[in-house]
Amino acid sequence: MKPLTGFSLLRPPTLVGALEMMSTLEHAQPIVGGTDIIPTFKDLGSKPVHLIDLGLIEELNGIMEEDGKILIGPTTTHTQILTSKVIEKTAPALHDAARWIGSVQIRNRGTIGGNLCNASPAADSAPPLLVHGAEAHICSLEEGHWIPLLELFKGPKMTVLKPNEILIGLRFPTIAGASSSFQRIGRRKGFTLSVVNAAVYVERKDDALKEARIALGSVAPTPIRAPVVEDKIRGKKMSEELIDEAAEACVEVAKPIDDVRGTAEYRKDMTAVLVKRALREAWRRTGGEL
Amino acid sequence: MVNFELNGAHVSFEAPATMTLLDMLRVELGVTSVKKGCEQGECGACTVLIDGYPMTSCIILAPQVEGRHVCTIDGLAENPLMKELREAFMENGAVQCGFCTPGILLSAYALLRDNKRPSEEEVKTAIEGNICRCTGYVAIIESILDAAERIAPD
Repeated sequence: MKPLTGFSLLRPPTLVGALEMMSTLEHAQPIVGGTDIIPTFKDLGSKPVHLIDLGLIEELNGIMEEDGKILIGPTTTHTQILTSKVIEKTAPALHDAARWIGSVQIRNRGTIGGNLCNASPAADSAPPLLVHGAEAHICSLEEGHWIPLLELFKGPKMTVLKPNEILIGLRFPTIAGASSSFQRIGRRKGFTLSVVNAAVYVERKDDALKEARIALGSVAPTPIRAPVVEDKIRGKKMSEELIDEAAEACVEVAKPIDDVRGTAEYRKDMTAVLVKRALREAWRRTGGEL
Repeated sequence: MVNFELNGAHVSFEAPATMTLLDMLRVELGVTSVKKGCEQGECGACTVLIDGYPMTSCIILAPQVEGRHVCTIDGLAENPLMKELREAFMENGAVQCGFCTPGILLSAYALLRDNKRPSEEEVKTAIEGNICRCTGYVAIIESILDAAERIAPD
C-alpha cells in the first residue's frame, strides 16, 4: 500500500467553478466517490493532480424524466440508480446492473459518471446505457455537446474527454413497449468485477422483434455494441432458434483477452450464455412468450 | 479545517487532502472501533455511516466529510436496534476475532433500520462488502435475522 501524497483537493460549489478549474489548472482530475481513483493511488502511487470534487454541485446529481427522456446526473450514486422507480420501469437493465456494482458501501459512494469515465471494459453501467441508446453530455467552459455514449470510450481506462472537459449528464429515450435485461458473470456472485457482462434491449411488436440491441462488456478494449447481430435479428419472429443464432453470432463479435479474471475462450463461451439469458429475459419483460 | 459531526458531536480538524477519513478517525481522533484492513474499500472493516449510509472510510478523503454526519458504532451504543444486534451477535457466537464486527454491525444496522424483516438474501447482500475470515458468515447471518425478529416479531 502506497501512502497518499502530492495531490490537492478542490471542492467547487458550482459547475462553472469546476469548469474554470478544469481549464486553468494543469493536471486537473474530477473526483466524486473516489472508489476507483483512491484505490488506484494506493496501488500505483498518487498522481500529482488537482482533484476536483464534483460532489457539491447539486445540478450534477439526480434522475429526471422529461419529454420522453430520462436524464441522469453524473454524480448520481449506484444506490440512487438502484432505488429509482423510474429507472426500474424505463431501463430495467440499468437497475439490474446497479445491483451488481461493488458492495453496499461502494454503491453508496460510487457514481454512474465515475463508473463510465473510469472506462473499464468491464464497467457494469455501460452495456445497459449503450443498449438504451444513451448519449453523454460533454462540457468545457467554452461549450457543451452531446455524443453517443459509445464514443466516450477510447480504450481501456481511456475516454475522449479532453483535459478541460467534464461529463455533465446522460440521457436516453423512454420507448413504450420496450424492455431490457442485464446479465453478468463474475468469479463469485457478490462484490466482484464482471468477467463478462451483457445487456439486451428489445421492442416487441406482437411476436416479432421490432428493435433489438445488444451490448457486451469485458470482451474488448471498451464496452461494445453488436450491430451485426442486431441487424441479423431485427424484425424477425422471436424464437429459441433466433436466440441461439444471436448468441452464436455474438461470440464472433467478442474479441476478449486472457487475464487474471478469465481466459478468452471462457469469455467467448460465456458471451453466448449471457446473451441468451438477456434476450429471453428482456423479451419476457415486454410480455412476449417463448 | 474540516468541520463535521462525529457521533452527534461537532468536530473541527485540520486534515490535509491526502488524509483518509479512516486515518482521521482512527489515528488522529482515536476512534479505534473503525478498523484498518485492506485500505482498498474491499473488506468493510473501516465501514462508517455517512448521513446514514454505510461507506468505507479508507477510500474517502477526510475533507470530503465537511458538513456531513459521520457515525461509528460508538455513536450507537445506546441505540435500541444496535443493542439488539449486539445481543444477537453475542448469543449466536457471531464474533471470533472481532476485527470485522464493528463494520458488520453498522452494515446490519443500516439494513434493519430501512428493512425491518429482510430475507436471508437481503442480509447477504447487505454484508457483501464486509469480509469475515473467522466465522464463515453463518452465525453472522443468523444473528442479523435473529435481531430482526426481536425488533419486529411476527
